[in-house]
Amino acid sequence: MDFSFSSEIEAFKNEVQAYFKIEKELASKARKEVEAGEGFGPAMWDVLRKIGAKHWLCPTWPKEYGGLGLPFMYRYIIQEEMHSFFHMYGTVGAGMAGPVILRHGSKDQKEKFLLPIAKGEIEFALGYTEPEAGSDLASLAIFAEDKGDHFLINGQKAFNTRAHYSQYHWLGARTKKTTQNHKGISLFIVDLSTPGITLSPYYTMGGTRTNGVYYDNVKVPKDALVGEENRGFYYIIEALAYERIMTVSALERDFNILIEYINKTGRGNSPVVRQRLADIAIDIETSRLFALKVAWMLDNNKIPSYEAAMLKIQVTETEQRMLNTGMQILGPYGQLKPGSKWAPIDGMFAWRYQDSLEEIIVRGTSEIMRNIIAERCLGLPKA
Amino acid sequence: MNFMFSKSQSMLQKSARDFLVKECKTMAKETENTDKGYGDKLWDQMAELGWMGIGIPEEYSGLDGNFLELMVLIEQMGKIQLPGPFIQSALSAFTINKFGSDIQKKTFLPDMVDGKLIITTALIKGSYEQIEPAKESEKKENGCYILSGTRLFVPFANTADMFIYFADTEKGNTCFIISTNTPGVKQTQLDSMGTDKLFEVTLENVEVSTENILGKGGAGKEISDYLNNLGAISYSAYLLGTIDAILEMTSNYAKTRKQFEKPIGSFQVIAHQLADMALTVEQVRSLTYFASWKVAEKMECAKEISMAKARASDAARDVSLFGVKIHGGIGIIDEYEMELYFRNAKTHELAFGDADYHREIIADNIKL
Repeated sequence: MDFSFSSEIEAFKNEVQAYFKIEKELASKARKEVEAGEGFGPAMWDVLRKIGAKHWLCPTWPKEYGGLGLPFMYRYIIQEEMHSFFHMYGTVGAGMAGPVILRHGSKDQKEKFLLPIAKGEIEFALGYTEPEAGSDLASLAIFAEDKGDHFLINGQKAFNTRAHYSQYHWLGARTKKTTQNHKGISLFIVDLSTPGITLSPYYTMGGTRTNGVYYDNVKVPKDALVGEENRGFYYIIEALAYERIMTVSALERDFNILIEYINKTGRGNSPVVRQRLADIAIDIETSRLFALKVAWMLDNNKIPSYEAAMLKIQVTETEQRMLNTGMQILGPYGQLKPGSKWAPIDGMFAWRYQDSLEEIIVRGTSEIMRNIIAERCLGLPKA
Repeated sequence: MNFMFSKSQSMLQKSARDFLVKECKTMAKETENTDKGYGDKLWDQMAELGWMGIGIPEEYSGLDGNFLELMVLIEQMGKIQLPGPFIQSALSAFTINKFGSDIQKKTFLPDMVDGKLIITTALIKGSYEQIEPAKESEKKENGCYILSGTRLFVPFANTADMFIYFADTEKGNTCFIISTNTPGVKQTQLDSMGTDKLFEVTLENVEVSTENILGKGGAGKEISDYLNNLGAISYSAYLLGTIDAILEMTSNYAKTRKQFEKPIGSFQVIAHQLADMALTVEQVRSLTYFASWKVAEKMECAKEISMAKARASDAARDVSLFGVKIHGGIGIIDEYEMELYFRNAKTHELAFGDADYHREIIADNIKL
């Protein structure tokens, strides 16, 4: 048992931190873009291309596709720093689409997409959720009909958050009507500028834009299909497995800001405040240990299963507890938005309190995670 | 970075589990109402297995090794709620090894390792309402001390040969090792809810010599800090075993108990409670292993120990309550083991500081 990093990893961590300190201004601009809710703006693309140029977006990939062939722990270190510096710990391309293309994509797809992903030049919007297919993803209905020389796609998607600035849609669509829903789904890479695709924006209470995506007789070339037809659901699950890590440095950062503020206002002596914040400190430390364990497992050929579900609950629910506690301590002032002269910590908690809710829902709700723990960790019978 | 136990730690874990499950699985229940409070042969068997020598240097007949090995062992003891003064004895041995003079180490440690000498800890003073003696100690001209005072919740003072005791002297707080049969020492069993035998130990004009002082006179604070930290992490490990066992027995029960023609574990309301219990067990495991590793590596770890004990203490209450609820009626019947885990969870939640106590230490350590 050893909880320390090797000296190589420690040195790499320092290198990454030093780099982000140099690029502090750009990172802060990118962070402001995320906070404004519109996703990637010019600063974010700039930052991504710079990280890409250092081969840090996909450090575990082979060198020929823009990676460095490094162990997973390096990627985790980079993701922690990215999340802390600009609220985003990776791209869908690098984390989910890329690894599936690497494993199941055609030669042409690999050549066309992998290098631009690694260089931070393109992004994919996840095209999974539909109005009637949320936690029960296998019931998705958007249909891709094989027309011989192309697919004709009709239907709609919901909550496809990155669709308004990504170049590509990572689309799960039905290709076969069958009684076993998950056996009739295929994955496609669709150029989002294809005629017939329209976006309809909706905004979360935290002000983040997400999208409904409508396909109206959209013609998609045959080579947009990823891997085998009707195997798409398996790839979707596999892609989720590539992106099991959660980062905690943003939590630590915000917690420290809160402590600093509380000390400044002289409330650090209140027994209630001390008890509550100490409990959050325990939760954050636990989150860090869970994340390290999953990262270590990924590096040692151990497949995280319920461990990843526990990590997701631990990190996202700790975030909720931290923000709730912060809001309660800040009292009525805490609800004021950034910009108000009475807003503590410039309204950061008011924004995070609303914006963070997304985290307990995306990539499997806390309740779906509890189902996974019940079945895979404890072997309980399915409901 | 490595989240796995070493080969020797894994072997120790397995052999401990084998022995404890085979020989001691029902000991807590069977010996609860006996005078001794644990199996007659237990101490000799454990000495034979070498368990009392873990973390003690070879020159004092120990096995070397470090706190991680001890933690592995204590976790397994918690799984079956092994009764007896093992933790107290280990804490005393570690403390003597760290602070004792060479003569003291030679006098006490080999006998402790052999199982011939049991030393417990007498740390907690009487409650606020009771009047303490005006003077805890008086120094005589020949250098001896006359000690008076009461310590509560002293585990297994009935079978212990000696106990560790702190008292204020003219040099400041000082640590003493005192024989239980010294004239003026009286033990009265406290009737508490768990299976640990807890005692009130009263000292009335007990004369002890300077040879009974551990470390330097006035070093009591440093020694008790060390002992309390080690106690907190040891009970975190024991509680980890406790809640892990509750999770296991409760999820097994939920798979077999049928109501409405289905195993109750197939109902999401039960499944999600069990998932939360599993999550809690993993939290306590991570924090306990991490703090224990820091102890073993001799790193600064007051905060990490408090994190482990705070979460373990809350978890003891939460997980044991869920365990009882999911078991339903059988969870509160004394023929079944669930109720014993529930009662002991409370005793150990309170041992060496509950969650509130440790959160206050954490608050200091996060610079609040």
